[in-house]
Amino acid sequence: MSEGLNYTFLIDTFFIALSGVPITLLVTIVALLIALPLGFLLALTRINQVPVLNWFSRIYVSFVRGTPIIIQIFIVYASVPLILSLFFEKYNININVYNINPIWYAFIVFSFSTTAILIEVFRSALSTVNKGQLEAAQSVGLSNFQAYRRIVIPQALIVALPNICTATVNLIKATSLGYAMSLQEITLKAKVAANVGYNYVEAYIDIFLVYIILCSLVEYGFKLYEKRLRRYKYVSA
Amino acid sequence: MHSMEKYFDVSYIWNSLPILLPFLKVTFMVAGLSIIFGTFLGLILAVMKLSKSKPARKFANFYTTILRCTPSIVLLFLVYYGVPALADNFGLYLHDLNTAVFVVITFTLQFAAIMSEVIRSAFESIEKGQFEAAVSVGLSPFQAYRRIIFPQALVVALPNFGNGLIALLQEGSLAYTIGLIDIVGKANLIIAANYNTHALEIFIALAIVYWVISILIEKFFGKLEKVFSKGKQTINTN
Repeated sequence: MSEGLNYTFLIDTFFIALSGVPITLLVTIVALLIALPLGFLLALTRINQVPVLNWFSRIYVSFVRGTPIIIQIFIVYASVPLILSLFFEKYNININVYNINPIWYAFIVFSFSTTAILIEVFRSALSTVNKGQLEAAQSVGLSNFQAYRRIVIPQALIVALPNICTATVNLIKATSLGYAMSLQEITLKAKVAANVGYNYVEAYIDIFLVYIILCSLVEYGFKLYEKRLRRYKYVSA
Repeated sequence: MHSMEKYFDVSYIWNSLPILLPFLKVTFMVAGLSIIFGTFLGLILAVMKLSKSKPARKFANFYTTILRCTPSIVLLFLVYYGVPALADNFGLYLHDLNTAVFVVITFTLQFAAIMSEVIRSAFESIEKGQFEAAVSVGLSPFQAYRRIIFPQALVVALPNFGNGLIALLQEGSLAYTIGLIDIVGKANLIIAANYNTHALEIFIALAIVYWVISILIEKFFGKLEKVFSKGKQTINTN
């Protein structure tokens, strides 16, 4: 029964898996670009107890943390076309919802889940910055916006960075579920290549390696950035 | 409104719940076994991380890094295809093994990585002086661990253990991809039986079930933490 690994396939498929990296990174970056500012703003609504938004953020975070991402994907992938087709029908727009590139669904799902994770990250980071810092900044004449930008955010960022790194790695890993939306990322590309000759062991070894390389690089990048931020901290201290 | 009902009918959510809920048994069984084996393996890894042996520390840290970087679905398929292929080399035929076994192996490996960090950080948070003080008043090292270090480490570890449980339960939802008929697997069967209509309602039902379970676990661990920290405070005030 034992045939051993097909090494030619193993090497060829490694590059097929690698060719899925740009899509994975694109989804990751777009999701972060949306989630970072939105998560920060909603974290502020929690800290400042803004009436309705505070309540909304709590339920939102609880839902995302309480449900598996694959089920969030199922829900978005089933509901968005439904809503869009009703909308298109109503306004006589002639677009077939089933021709929409799955990457748009990926943007929606992963921004949605990452925002919730980052609300919690920023909330705990902001709460570590002493309240006196903000008051002191205001008392020397800085506007609220300036005080946040110059005083509070830089300090909170150092605290938040390791958690943002974890969130980014988890996001990259979560994009492997893009198969459920036929997203042409790392996992799906290698899996499709394996379908021809049932070389699944080789394909999954390749996928495994690509994720390890990708995540190690991201973790390394965050570590460098953290070091730089800390250096500034010591200079100013 | 009329056309909306054709696509979305709330009654499907309520009607699917009684069919889905019995399959939580499978979900919980797989998760429970992974927690037991994973905690045990995690403890071994944590001991390696805290040990004086450099190779042991290196190995345990390497293991955690690799597992942290691997998506659950990739690990699941790697185990599902890889374990029987590896066993072939030893003349073992494991291709007919129950899918639940592969799921348990996968999530044991993953939970062990999480738990090793939870246990390590909990022990490191306890001051070294505590152990020395306990030994100096005549406790054996084992007694010092059991009576002094362990109860304190437990309080620190508890919230992280709870978060680990919730994460495990959620990642476990991917078991359907290798054919396990747990609650997600059953949901997909219901949808297939409905000719792929009303999928959204079934998925919403699924989300509600997971959401409620996660909230319950969170609440439970919050209570537990309070109970254990109470003891801590009375010691401090005396």
